Amino acid sequence: MERAAPTKIALPGPDRAIPVLLLLGLVLLPFLARSNGYVLQVFTHALLLATLALAWNILGAGGLVSLGHAAFFGVGAYSSGILSLRPGLSPWLTIPVGGLFGAGLAVMVGLLCRRLRGAYFALATLAFVEIPRVVTDNWDGLTRGSLGLVGLPGLPALTLGPWRVEIGSSASASYNLVLSYALVVVFLVALLWRSNLGLALQAAREEETAAKAVGIHVDRYRLLSLILSAFLTGTSGAIYVHLTRYTVPGLVYSLHFSAVPVIFAMCGGRFTILGPALAALVLYPVDQFLFHPLLPAGHEFLYGLFLILVVLFMPGGFWGALRRSP
Amino acid sequence: MLVWRPTLLCSLLVLLLVSPSALAAPIKIGDIHPLTGRLAKHGLESHQGVIAAVAEVNEAGGVFGRQVELVSRDDQSLPDVAISRAEELCAREKVVGLTGGYEDSLVGAVSEVARKYQVPFVASASLQKELARHGNPFFFRVAGLQGFVEPLCDFLSERLRPQRLAILHAATPGATEFAADLERCLQPRGIPLRLGEKFRPGTPDFVPLIAKLATLPADVIVSGGFFSDHILLVRQLKAQRLSAKAYIGPWGVAYETFLEEMGEDAEYLYGTSAWMPGITLPGTEAASRAFVERCRRLFQREPSSTTMHGYTAARALLAAVEDVLRRGQPLTGANVRQALAGLDLLLPMERLSFDERGDPRSYRHVVVQVQGGRFVVVYPPERATGSAVYPAPPWKQRP
Amino acid sequence: MWITALVSGIALGSFYSLIAMGFALIFGVTHAFNLAHGELVVLAGYVAYWLWKGWGLSLIFTFPVAVAALLCLCLILQRLFSLLREPLELNSIVMSFGLAILLQNGMLFAFSGDYRLIRAPALTEGIYVNGLSLTYGQLALVVLSLVAIGLLHLLMHHTYLGKALRATIQDREGAALAGINVRIMGLVAFGIGAVCIGLAGPLYGSIHYLYPAAGLQATLIAVTITIFAGVGRIRGLIVGGWLLGLAESAAVILLGSSWRELVSAVILIGLLVFRPRGILGREEG
Repeated sequence: MERAAPTKIALPGPDRAIPVLLLLGLVLLPFLARSNGYVLQVFTHALLLATLALAWNILGAGGLVSLGHAAFFGVGAYSSGILSLRPGLSPWLTIPVGGLFGAGLAVMVGLLCRRLRGAYFALATLAFVEIPRVVTDNWDGLTRGSLGLVGLPGLPALTLGPWRVEIGSSASASYNLVLSYALVVVFLVALLWRSNLGLALQAAREEETAAKAVGIHVDRYRLLSLILSAFLTGTSGAIYVHLTRYTVPGLVYSLHFSAVPVIFAMCGGRFTILGPALAALVLYPVDQFLFHPLLPAGHEFLYGLFLILVVLFMPGGFWGALRRSP
Repeated sequence: MLVWRPTLLCSLLVLLLVSPSALAAPIKIGDIHPLTGRLAKHGLESHQGVIAAVAEVNEAGGVFGRQVELVSRDDQSLPDVAISRAEELCAREKVVGLTGGYEDSLVGAVSEVARKYQVPFVASASLQKELARHGNPFFFRVAGLQGFVEPLCDFLSERLRPQRLAILHAATPGATEFAADLERCLQPRGIPLRLGEKFRPGTPDFVPLIAKLATLPADVIVSGGFFSDHILLVRQLKAQRLSAKAYIGPWGVAYETFLEEMGEDAEYLYGTSAWMPGITLPGTEAASRAFVERCRRLFQREPSSTTMHGYTAARALLAAVEDVLRRGQPLTGANVRQALAGLDLLLPMERLSFDERGDPRSYRHVVVQVQGGRFVVVYPPERATGSAVYPAPPWKQRP
Repeated sequence: MWITALVSGIALGSFYSLIAMGFALIFGVTHAFNLAHGELVVLAGYVAYWLWKGWGLSLIFTFPVAVAALLCLCLILQRLFSLLREPLELNSIVMSFGLAILLQNGMLFAFSGDYRLIRAPALTEGIYVNGLSLTYGQLALVVLSLVAIGLLHLLMHHTYLGKALRATIQDREGAALAGINVRIMGLVAFGIGAVCIGLAGPLYGSIHYLYPAAGLQATLIAVTITIFAGVGRIRGLIVGGWLLGLAESAAVILLGSSWRELVSAVILIGLLVFRPRGILGREEG
């Protein structure tokens, strides 16, 4: 099958310098911001949100809009949190397991909603968040319900031969860990778009009927993309919960974690690999450093404004608009 | 002459600029409260208590001649914002101690940041037992769940002895644990729970729940909700003509603003209070009056129990800082923590000392009832200023 | 207990159908999914709260002001929605999701996150017979929603405008071919929708709490009832509202208050999944 030329998922062409410079900046950040832990903390969170946007876009680039990724985020966070608390497993083990639980939920959502497209899939996902949230809130025996999870273990130290890196207690080590994880996610997503799955998803986005006609199992590929997306989202949720070491249902199943990946992916450009991550790394720090001090209550209205503007005027996102103008 | 005069002026200037900061660099205290969002009302009150405590110390010349600088942040009632504000205070502002935090979801979030940066955190209003159980040496609080549960459990089992008790509670960590603890305390004393229900803060319609209460019919209703939950629930109880013998709201009722909002419908409702203007620990009457005066002067309003919690937490932190400086130790988080652990302070709300988990040793509420538009202490007997009107007259017999 | 729950379920359901009316009309005529619908209702409630608290207006007089404010706002929204490109339904949902975030944060800024309640003591008075009670508030909800539905039904079925609106709902292209100005019909739908929202808002503020994040639940309710009723079926809205209200009451009694929020979400997913032909009666792409 030929690649669909006009909107194929691609690394930004002429401006490859930007990702390289950005990566350099991100790697050097702990040294530059040594005296300022707050900057590091904001960028740690921005990187985590970037992974959410990237994961969301696995689904989004295939043409499905989910407004309920907080469900996967929350399930990943809770399952990793519970497993690290009760049987006392190491977070290094429970974090990927959290991702698996997210993927398990995605199987349910995907099978249930396999015939839904477009607006109806979006509505279903929006409503779906309520189910794991209310169940978590009421299943006192397993999740401690409204009491939340308290005193979760942080990320334990990594021992590599003579080196021992304390991750939980050091801001820069936490940052480096999330940065490495984000790079792995970027790598996976790039790999994905070059695989058969990626090509099939793009074909399905362009012309679902035609794709079906040439024998592509659109439904199967969509389910697979949903599962992958949910796995990464759940993993991010699990990392988040061990960074904050505390959670209540309202925190991880919040509208915030459903909305933010949509906003970043749409603003960054749904048809680029790095666009969503770039948007997260620009918009979140701008929001935290610039708008929050100005507007302590309601500063996130800018996210809403950006989303409206992008949908109306820039269907390719900022990155797309940037690339089109030579 | 002409040469050294500018030099003298310069050196004088330098001395002026340097000396206050060198000799008395301000001590930075961090304060995180929900100033916006769903908990803003109580968060702001607690925040004002902290301001009052800092103002009191600064007016008296500071701590060992050093002024105290309060660095305040708003967590928007959201735990993730609380985390990033706390990180900012610890990492960027380099505060020597943290105070604030109104609800457990916020306190829990901040306490983990405190542990990470080894900066002591004295929470103003926190309840959940679990928070103090995780061996977080940098976590202290001036309130605790047992301060509500014990007096209420005693009052219910010794005085009211309800036949059909219902406990409702909001889906927040503190309220959930309160409901479970109260039930656990009452069970062995022969008072069974007939209905336990959890609702989400901001539940729009209590009528189906009231219908459930009416089938028992519940004679005593304990409602672990917040201010606005009580307002809506009591109004709908009245609309549905469900007359319980007693309605007890451990949080949110014992406030002057609640009386203003509810008017006559507040009559006979019970609440609990750790402190109120006029209800103070024996022996602290003067300090209590001074605190009320200061709040009136600073904020043009009456302080509430929540204001006192903020004040108490900040006073504990400041006393610990003073302790460290008196011993001539460097002002580090670890040293302030050490001083907090050994604190013993008589304040209007409680005699404050912390146990090994950071919980207050003698925090205890009194039970109050609204009678004639005023709060009357009805329990425990040694602090009572009146006796309880029980059962409360049914709605249709009221004007 | 069940009779009280029945009364409360019907009253609440009447209110739900009032919330859903504006959404159903706008969606039916323009095919624009307005996820910010609930936020608009809450905003109208805040307008009424501001008038009531700040200017001492009684609840009755806040309605015209709320309606007027919402009319202005909805006409601007109509312009925004008309700028959208295909696929209209998906793009409108994403844009209005952004709008919902914008409005939520705007209200957080303007009114803070406190729970607000418009106190109307008359609404808590009522009729009491044999231990059963019907408050004037509940009565007002039922009557108001029936009147509103009745008026809308009259408009749709007995006027030329209504005929044109129904034609647009059934078949946009066909209506355009028959000489109906579909754009104007969209404007009219947003206008009537704004009136419904302007009426529902102050009621929301006096019966529920107002807080900035309350809108999402209201949106879910409006979407659920609209999909249940099927587009263009005015009378279906009231049945849908009642059934949802009753289902919530039943959930509180049988399962407990903490399960109530699940009801509308589960019903919505069920409707979406088991009505695969889509609510417009055609395959969705």
